[in-house]
Amino acid sequence: MTKTYGRLLTAMFCLFLGGLLAWHVLLPDREKSDVENRSLQQRPEFSWAALTDGSYTADVEAYFADQFPLRDGWTGLKARVEQLLGKREFHGVYLCGDTLISKVETPDETLVEKNLSYVRRLAEKTEIPVTLGFIPSAAEIWKDKLPAGAESWDQSAFLEQAAGVGVPMVDLKTTMEAHAGEKIFYRTDHHWTSLGAFYGANAVLDALGRESLNQADFAPEAVSDAFCGTLYSTSGIHWLPPDTMEFWAEEAGLSVTSWRSGSPEPSALYDRTYLAEKDKYSAFLGGNQPLCVIRNENLPGGGRVLLVRDSYADSLAPLLAQRFEEVHLLDLRYYRASVAQYAAEHGVDEIVVLYSVPNFITDKNVVFLSQ
Amino acid sequence: MVFSSLTFLFAFLPLTLAVYVLTPLRWRNFVLLMVSLVFYGWGEPVYITIMFVSILIDYTHGLLVEKYRADDRKARWFVGQSVVFNLLLLGFFKYGTFFAENLYLLTGIQLPQSVSIGGVTMPLLGIPLPIGISFFTFQTMSYTIDVYRRDAPVQRNIVNFGAFVTMFPQLIAGPIVKYKTVAAELNHRIHTAEGFALGARRFCAGLAKKVLLANAVGALWEECLAAQSAGTLTVVGGWTGLFAFGFQIYFDFSGYSDMAIGLGQMFGFRFPENFDYPYLASSVTEFWRRWHMSLTSWFREYLYIPLGGNRGGTVRTLRNILIVWFCTGFWHGASWNFVLWGLYFALWLILEKYVFRGLLERTPGWVKHVYTILVVFVGWGIFAMEDLGVCGAYLARCFGAARLWSMADGFRLRSYALTFAALILASTTIGRDGWAKLSERAQRILTPVLMALTLVLCTAYLVDGSYNPFLYFRF
Repeated sequence: MTKTYGRLLTAMFCLFLGGLLAWHVLLPDREKSDVENRSLQQRPEFSWAALTDGSYTADVEAYFADQFPLRDGWTGLKARVEQLLGKREFHGVYLCGDTLISKVETPDETLVEKNLSYVRRLAEKTEIPVTLGFIPSAAEIWKDKLPAGAESWDQSAFLEQAAGVGVPMVDLKTTMEAHAGEKIFYRTDHHWTSLGAFYGANAVLDALGRESLNQADFAPEAVSDAFCGTLYSTSGIHWLPPDTMEFWAEEAGLSVTSWRSGSPEPSALYDRTYLAEKDKYSAFLGGNQPLCVIRNENLPGGGRVLLVRDSYADSLAPLLAQRFEEVHLLDLRYYRASVAQYAAEHGVDEIVVLYSVPNFITDKNVVFLSQ
Repeated sequence: MVFSSLTFLFAFLPLTLAVYVLTPLRWRNFVLLMVSLVFYGWGEPVYITIMFVSILIDYTHGLLVEKYRADDRKARWFVGQSVVFNLLLLGFFKYGTFFAENLYLLTGIQLPQSVSIGGVTMPLLGIPLPIGISFFTFQTMSYTIDVYRRDAPVQRNIVNFGAFVTMFPQLIAGPIVKYKTVAAELNHRIHTAEGFALGARRFCAGLAKKVLLANAVGALWEECLAAQSAGTLTVVGGWTGLFAFGFQIYFDFSGYSDMAIGLGQMFGFRFPENFDYPYLASSVTEFWRRWHMSLTSWFREYLYIPLGGNRGGTVRTLRNILIVWFCTGFWHGASWNFVLWGLYFALWLILEKYVFRGLLERTPGWVKHVYTILVVFVGWGIFAMEDLGVCGAYLARCFGAARLWSMADGFRLRSYALTFAALILASTTIGRDGWAKLSERAQRILTPVLMALTLVLCTAYLVDGSYNPFLYFRF
């Protein structure tokens, strides 16, 4: 090795390390990552206490990684390389042609049993009829699309277990399977599409003995063709075409009240500001909130339904509201008072516990059902 | 701090290099000492005190051994003191909880969790293991012994000695650098751009082994282990897991050694080689001549030979082999599976030495290779699973107590086919030999390209926060 060549390699090596360091220092810190849909670690405050308990250095590591220059480019590059190597699983997301499907990990069996028992306890506690609906995720409905041998927890076995609870069930699995050939789930997000939610709403209406919705009555409005969902974020796979998002129900005649900060505020069926952001699914009802009521002005005396639910209901509720005077949406992650009491106080006619399977088997807040 | 982290690569290393280069020669060991303390304290700041105590005691003992050289009994006494101190350090921090648990199981005596001395409560058990303690205690032990044996001159400069003890490139995962190896370079070493470039190249190779190969296949091992606990592990899955772990530990460990050797070169040190294509070995004996060479040579030099080696007849030799391999196993972690792992190899080494010798000579090369690989990879099963119950169940499945294979195995093998191909290729000398056949011009063009590619890809994997374990926290 000649001296000049040695200097060249040395310079290259040091420039790469030092250059990225300089870039990192000069680059303004970001509050949150839209692509990953999470807030990023900020520069930690130094203190001797934090240093001695090790949290300072841990935070510096997290800060350094979160604020790294071109962060999204690096993660995308990594996913590409993995794909070239023949990998089909990316951080728990399977790449199935042009579709991403989230793997369902084996849950804690005791939590699953407990969560089911809380549903039974709610049904015992209240006089109001309780119906239980579980939305199988794409890993179940679209299991044909999964790479051969790709593992995902058995959701049908869980649904059989759930049937043993003794609460009337909404047969969402049969409904979804009947339409498995259609675009009922997003390709880049774990939620169902508005079409999927439409079939879901009809399954719920069937179970409650209400008149089904007619697809011909709706004129779906394509509100975005640039939706890159949660699976896009977690997998790092950024090269698939984005999803199209549709609004089905018309806003006219439906008034929405939202309890985001503890007191009722007028809200909207769709919050279109989210359509300009990464998290477009939150356009349905404006995203996560403890409690929300949709009122159908055209259907006085049409009955009141209470949905104890997860985010899948955000896109389903506007459709369900076509057949009820009031749809109450209660999210146990944020709402901590008694469900039975709420239902009694608000003259609810039907309670529907509606969760996607992956959320229900991992959610530690289902316990509040039994209060 | 570990090498395969963003903070090391893009903050610690460039800043250290900058300060080091800007410092005049005679202050460079001081810089090395300071940055090494930061490096060490990064994970557990409190444990910097262990470093200070260790430096002070071994430094003083070196001087004492030198001072009383004329009086051999006194000199030996001080060597003994230093060895005992280092073993106590190791015993307390690494083996304390293990000893207490086994004492309780054997006799029912329960040791206190902590003691109070003058109002200050000191924990006794369940203390987090200071990182790299097995490496640096062995290195400092070698110092007083080397001084006593006149293999190395005494170090009178405490800064130079401190730099030896704490030297961050080999502090946490080896190679175990004997004092005599670097004694001269501590006092005087040459820094050249060529040396630095060679070091940087070596470092990149090590980084690639760790981040791109070891981490990738390590995730597969975790999957197989999860299948074991879920009860779905098949025969094929079991062997997939053993091979995944065996490749993970080789590329992880030798990757760390390459990074250490490369970093050493950047700072003007020449560290010993630690691995020599161990998976090409055609006997277990040969495997151990090629695997973690700095540890085996340490045990040979400071334990096996002082015990009498193989010069005292068969019984003495057998005893010595068993002692050395008990210690080698136990050195890897305070748990019975590591002891078992060491003795497992003692058994195969004894068999090869006394029973198989003639047989092995007549066996075709490829059969010997297959035999060695099987012995070594089953050994990795014992090494990887601390719970001997789990380990036994896992190995039983490998040897037929399970379904032959499942669809999930097919998925895993397809996902990792290219990775395995790369691992096998990188375990052989094909790459090295092919490189040597290239023209000098081709090498000169390819070197920076490969280095840049490695750095870019490793950065991508590290930023992505992919599976990136530190395997030596038990060492």
